[in-house]
Amino acid sequence: MPYRSADRRRALAAAALGRPLAEPGPISEEGDSPRSITGEILDVSPHLIVVDTPEGREERLVIAPWATAWRGENVAPADLPIGAHVIIRALRSGRVVDRIWADITRITGVIQSAGTDSKDRAMELYCGPHRGRRTIVIPYGASGRLRVRHPKFEPGYLFDAIGVRENGVAHARLPATSQPPYRWTAVPEPPPGYSGTQSRISGTATWSDTFDWGERGAAYPMLERSDSGCQDAEVSCAGLPYLALGSTLTVRNVCAGRASALPIVACGCLAGRFCDRCLECGTSPRGRIVELSPVSFVELGGELTKGCFNARVGLG
Amino acid sequence: MLTTIATAQLPALSALLAAGALAKVWVAAGKAGPGALGRLGPAVLVADRWRASATLGCAVAELVLLAGLMATDHPLFRWGTAAFFAISTYVLWELRRRRPDAGCGCFGEVSAVPVGLRSLGRTMVLTTMAVGLVWAPPISGWSTVTGMTWPRALAAAAGLLVLAVLSPEIEETAARLRYRAPCEQRRLDPSTALNRLRSSSTWRAHEGSLSSSDPVDTWRELCWRFFVYPGRSGTGEPVDVVFAVYLSGRHPAVRMAMVDVEGRAVKTAPLPESMPVSA
Repeated sequence: MPYRSADRRRALAAAALGRPLAEPGPISEEGDSPRSITGEILDVSPHLIVVDTPEGREERLVIAPWATAWRGENVAPADLPIGAHVIIRALRSGRVVDRIWADITRITGVIQSAGTDSKDRAMELYCGPHRGRRTIVIPYGASGRLRVRHPKFEPGYLFDAIGVRENGVAHARLPATSQPPYRWTAVPEPPPGYSGTQSRISGTATWSDTFDWGERGAAYPMLERSDSGCQDAEVSCAGLPYLALGSTLTVRNVCAGRASALPIVACGCLAGRFCDRCLECGTSPRGRIVELSPVSFVELGGELTKGCFNARVGLG
Repeated sequence: MLTTIATAQLPALSALLAAGALAKVWVAAGKAGPGALGRLGPAVLVADRWRASATLGCAVAELVLLAGLMATDHPLFRWGTAAFFAISTYVLWELRRRRPDAGCGCFGEVSAVPVGLRSLGRTMVLTTMAVGLVWAPPISGWSTVTGMTWPRALAAAAGLLVLAVLSPEIEETAARLRYRAPCEQRRLDPSTALNRLRSSSTWRAHEGSLSSSDPVDTWRELCWRFFVYPGRSGTGEPVDVVFAVYLSGRHPAVRMAMVDVEGRAVKTAPLPESMPVSA
């Protein structure tokens, strides 16, 4: 069955059910709402950064005195290399840079094979039917930190780390979560659902870099396999209701108090297999309920290097 | 008296062996969906690649014992049944010690409850029944069933009652029936929704405005399934005709709207409330 577009499905569903058409975008703001800008660095100095955006625009932004950058580790913004791909959190109507992440990537998948070299280890991961396989390198210097949270580098176990892209190769630097103790095919059952559904579901929101560059949207685990063409979907340990590509989710960052309506644009088949909690502000209920694009994650107040925030998701 | 009670347990043992074997085959064949390995019971103690084989092997052993008990009166099968349940008791004890989160897997999906004293007590009672059968008069299970007498029937019923009291699966099944998952979380077949749509009055009223009988898009959101068909409005403009079918109930609500290419809803004529009937 062809999937035409998220906008079309939203308009058709609203017309059939007689409900108002929910437009994606921020819902409520508290204080200065950050704007997220992606692009490639054209020039950078201690006070100014020039970025070429995917739309072909040239953005000139002022770097705040308190601003920091991350490229494998915390660095001064002026030390970022020309040509690096960056995601910028900008304040003051999107003109003042607050935080920069350069060449950041997140590697979430199922371990297929792990190299046995004593120094840098190459690892092959299965990242879902629509994301394919990826190869990452675990540098010797980061392996200790990663092995503390990911003790099993064995085929069939899940892996989730944050790293940097260097010369087209992803290098893992930080563990994004603790490795689940079960294999990816043995996800714990969600708690039993009783009659009536909750209008709001709490859990963990994470991000993924497998969206289109600069795209705003979310990946959701509980999509019907026949509708989404994703054979690994329909698995979640959080007891989520079924939604579809094109449905609109209201995602609230409980820690930052920001909310946004986001369209579901992808299948979060691997996110549903993590039953972890986020400790960003208090302890979230178990289970990843949504996986956001980096731009949406940053605009909702998330810190990419922390990997998650406590979220509450509204339906419809 | 004791001989009558021991002989009467033969049908009860056979019934449990049959149920256990069928449930294990179902689980090993992967019909229970993702995460089913957690319900394999003692098979979680072996390596991943052997789990399905171990479960199937256990099912085959149960079927062989069942066939032997029902068809023959050979003591080998009675000793085999006693040994099988004795080993099961030890394995469940070991499972409880090493993997307290795993269910006993005795009856497939409903045995996902962690092994407790009741499950252990049940295998002990089954072992006792099987040992008692070794000293019972040699008679095949089929002959016991066909020549059932009132004392034997009462003794068999008492045996089944004891087993039922010791079975956590019965409570699990009752809870599942009583507290069904909400419609939004249930896996539902799209073809059922399509059949319900085509048998609805809304479909019959608007079937004529459709250009094709095959939907061009379908998706599910919460408890609604949407079907989109190409069609023409009353003025002849091309539109998308979208039907929304509620997924719960035998005669579900069906809603319909026509949407033009720009995403605006097109007004449709309301359905007649009554049909004029000529006298």
